Amino acid sequence: MRLRRVNPIKEILRPLGQLLIFVIGSAVIISAFVLLLALLLRPTRTDIDIFQVSLILLPQVLIDGITLGFMYAIIAMGYTMVYGVLEFINFAHGEFVMFGAFAGVELLIWLNAQGVLRTSEMWLALLWLVLAVLLGMSVGGALAVSAERFAYRPLRGTPRLVPLIAAIGVSFLLQDTMRFLQSAINGDFYRTFPEFGPFAQRLTLFSLSIDERPINIAVQYKAILLISFAIIMLVALNYLVNATRLGKAIRSVAQDQRTASLMGIDVNRIIALTFLIGGAMGGAAGVLWTFRFTRADPYMGFIPGLKAFTAAVLGGIGSIVGAMLGGMVLGLLESFAASYFSIFSRGAFGAEYKDIFAFGILILVLIFRPQGLLGGKTTQKA
Amino acid sequence: MSAMLELEKVTKRFGGLVAVNAVDLRFEKGSISSVIGPNGAGKTTIFNIITGIYRPDEGNVRFEGRSIVGKRPDQITELGLCRTFQNIRLFNNMTVLENILVGAHTRTPSTAWGAVLRTRHFKEAEEAARQEALQLLRFVGLPRGLGDQLARNLPYGQQRRVEIARALASKPRLLLLDEPTAGMNPQETESAMRLFRRLRDELGITVVLIEHDMKVVMGISERVSVIDYGQKIAEGTPEEVRKDQRVIEAYLGRSAMVETAAVERSRP
Amino acid sequence: MSTQIAPTHRFRQLFRGPLGVLLTLAYIGAITALLILEPRSLLWRLLLFTALALIYFIPQRPAVKVILSVLLLAIVVPTVGLRNPFLLEIGFQVAVFATLALGLNVVVGFAGLLDLGYIAFFAVGAYLWAFFGSQQLWHLNDPPGTFSIYPTFPLAAWWFWIFIPLAILAATATGILLGFPVLRLRGDYLAIVTLGFGEVIRVLANNLDKPINLTNGPQGITPIQRPPLPPFLTSPEVLATLSGWAGRPIGLNDVYGFFFYFMGLIVLIVTIIIARRLEHSKLGRSWTAIREDDVAAVAMGVPLRRTKLTAFAIGAAFSGAMGVLYASNRTFVSPETFSLTASISILVMVILGGLGSIPGVVLGAAVVTLLNIDILQTLSLLLSSLRQGNEVIPLLGVPWKNLPTQLDPARYQRFVFGLLLIFMMIFRPEGMVPAERARLELHESEEEFSPEVKLEGDAMPEEQPVD
Repeated sequence: MRLRRVNPIKEILRPLGQLLIFVIGSAVIISAFVLLLALLLRPTRTDIDIFQVSLILLPQVLIDGITLGFMYAIIAMGYTMVYGVLEFINFAHGEFVMFGAFAGVELLIWLNAQGVLRTSEMWLALLWLVLAVLLGMSVGGALAVSAERFAYRPLRGTPRLVPLIAAIGVSFLLQDTMRFLQSAINGDFYRTFPEFGPFAQRLTLFSLSIDERPINIAVQYKAILLISFAIIMLVALNYLVNATRLGKAIRSVAQDQRTASLMGIDVNRIIALTFLIGGAMGGAAGVLWTFRFTRADPYMGFIPGLKAFTAAVLGGIGSIVGAMLGGMVLGLLESFAASYFSIFSRGAFGAEYKDIFAFGILILVLIFRPQGLLGGKTTQKA
Repeated sequence: MSAMLELEKVTKRFGGLVAVNAVDLRFEKGSISSVIGPNGAGKTTIFNIITGIYRPDEGNVRFEGRSIVGKRPDQITELGLCRTFQNIRLFNNMTVLENILVGAHTRTPSTAWGAVLRTRHFKEAEEAARQEALQLLRFVGLPRGLGDQLARNLPYGQQRRVEIARALASKPRLLLLDEPTAGMNPQETESAMRLFRRLRDELGITVVLIEHDMKVVMGISERVSVIDYGQKIAEGTPEEVRKDQRVIEAYLGRSAMVETAAVERSRP
Repeated sequence: MSTQIAPTHRFRQLFRGPLGVLLTLAYIGAITALLILEPRSLLWRLLLFTALALIYFIPQRPAVKVILSVLLLAIVVPTVGLRNPFLLEIGFQVAVFATLALGLNVVVGFAGLLDLGYIAFFAVGAYLWAFFGSQQLWHLNDPPGTFSIYPTFPLAAWWFWIFIPLAILAATATGILLGFPVLRLRGDYLAIVTLGFGEVIRVLANNLDKPINLTNGPQGITPIQRPPLPPFLTSPEVLATLSGWAGRPIGLNDVYGFFFYFMGLIVLIVTIIIARRLEHSKLGRSWTAIREDDVAAVAMGVPLRRTKLTAFAIGAAFSGAMGVLYASNRTFVSPETFSLTASISILVMVILGGLGSIPGVVLGAAVVTLLNIDILQTLSLLLSSLRQGNEVIPLLGVPWKNLPTQLDPARYQRFVFGLLLIFMMIFRPEGMVPAERARLELHESEEEFSPEVKLEGDAMPEEQPVD
């Protein structure tokens, strides 16, 4: 491991710069590819001007994709950190996301019932949202630590597949535990994110006109908030891992557990902390996810979890920067696939295929570039 | 004598590290040879290159005159070149006999269809393989009764012997033994050496050893090659190598006094 | 080992010799009587199942065990099944899932490759017959829900028999197609990729109702033909006789119940035989070898990719054949059947029973299937009957009536599976009937097993040359 003097400002600016490059880079590349495809297909279509339609859709698709990408990136942190330290795929990570989501939603539903959410003040609404995210983080983190303590720690040192199978068990158990709790208390197993605050309002960025039709390019406050939350969390995590003593301990455990313990590092504590951090990120992502898609249900964490894992692998599992890049690329690809599949195939294949698309990417990456796009720089084992 | 196995300018790099650097080696048919060198000198890497686990970055490996670079390990085994491992790698949850039968994989003609239909051909092939495995067990000096034991329940020295029997089951014409006497006491080493000689004398197998125990090296090898820092620094009969100044300096190093004494004692 | 199994050992001693056979027969007879008196009791059903487990565990000669099993499976179960056809249904489902579990056991237990999308191969078989054995061929251009059912089919029902081997081929081909690129992956990545593949198959089944209607989407395909029965079985006289024995009217559906029960049983027995023979062959040893140590296996001449691929293909083949049988038994398939939960439930069967242990896996499949379709369902029924009444839940003081229907035990399969997986991994990863123990038991019956064969350095027996 390299030991270098840490410049705190630099450690904040560096990931910000990386994120900016990833967002703009992948957005530009994918947009260019889709527009080119639209141009090529243009002569074959008489029903619509496919290029124009693609162009009109583009801004919204980009914003959706970037939002989704940030959420995948946050969830992917949990996979990548745990994998970096234990070389273990924490199958139940999606369920930490789900528990975080329920915690946040339940809090907001309760606050709503008390009448405190009836506000149009942005800062007040934001305060409640932050509170919900914090609760989601605590629940996700606590759950991750208990899962590690009771299910994974007893299995440390057993053949690889043993903890993986246990993790599948934890995943299933948590799903139905939440289902049971919700059913017993509320009579049904899903919850809806309460509508509050001015988050649905749109901020118009700019207007343009195509064929004299005016088109407003506007962003929901929701999207701006989601992206800001995500950026803050990713930068904070990056700082924690790269610029603090704790981060140094985590990285050294990732390098070599035995040596780290000889150097006086409490390996068990560090592993628990890794789960705590990953679980907290997941819990926060859960709240943000329901904020975006409004519905919390016990099985909501599974598919996003799988995709976030794909994102982690795509970027290079074990690497925090890689997970950010992977999340972004996957989010954008998925958003593009969901919108453009049906246009390009004349409605024959719709958004339903976006999951297949994501798994297809996973399979291709694992076969052709198993080390991922960035090849694991931060915490990969030697 | 003709060369059974030949390495020509074989080089292997791991990242920036040159693990094996332009090594030429030649093992004659029917000989017993040793490759020696300090820990980390690149001996096991050479074995891994020969058996196809690593692909050399440069150079050529010829077995019985044909290049085997780029072949898969299982193909190389099928050609008649087999090995044992430095830290015994038996199939722990299989019985001793099953371990040997896996070794006979390339020489057992039975098919999956035959197994499902229990054809006469299948039964005969299995029975022949079983008989042969039992004979090999005896050949390496283990009792028949051991055949049904799980490999992991055997003591260390017996596991070494099972590993040799397993390799023999593939009917190799050349056998690579990676530190086969590591961890043995003097009596065990003595009897292991007898076994190595019999491999050549009775089965006609060309034997190549990686060895640390000078008594073994000097006692049974006809030729010795010395590897240090990935390079061959000396080659010759045990007598020649022992007198080689570079070997004494590079290989024996600081513990030269002790090692030389050991070498002296083992003089025939 | 010996101290660990001492209590069970003493229990087994009871069933030694002719007295043991009589004891077993008495047990079977008692349960049969109870089941005839009370055909719908869950408890007696479960005891009937324990009788089969008992036959496996008692220290009797294989021939005796076979006779007892035949008595139980071919005479007792159908006799009782005349009164309660649900018993035959359970028998059929246990056979289907035991076959699937045996297939997965080849992949996970023998070769050590964790496949989380195994149900996909079952789906391939089921959809193959669903497509050709129904009227779907006539509705390629009709969206789901826009067509009605005709009395005739494009293919005659006897094609069922052709489609069993065809499904085996199709599933094997799918297995090879998937396995070829992914089998070079490391274990945990392979697990995730196969899971993804399972989901892909399910999503395809859900969405291939357009542009061409191949799968009829989420609604699923129905009706699917059942194979034709020999006429003498369905003649009015036979049905009348059976009705007389059963004490209730026996119709065509009941006869199909018997048919599928015996079909399932035959396929299961064939599968067990194939799995056993493969296990003790060159191929089986290669699987175990790559599971134990792939580097050493390759160095001994075992081709890694090809060996893994055969495991994948053979596992898929078992599953494909059962798909056809299942589709025609249900006369209906829909994507729901092929969920991740289904894949995991088969994994639970294998792990619960014992990875790599054929009797264990069959036992595990029976337990999990009973849990799935019988125990949890019966508990749900019990709960809903309680909900009808006015009683109050003992400790909580809440009326049963107010209990949400969402709490039905039948909806909590994942809870049970999750718990089972965690507990097995932590406390008994080798399963209920561990593979190794099963092996040692085989030795026990043949000759006295001596674990103390020791060799000392000098006291080496004379070394013999190879002839």
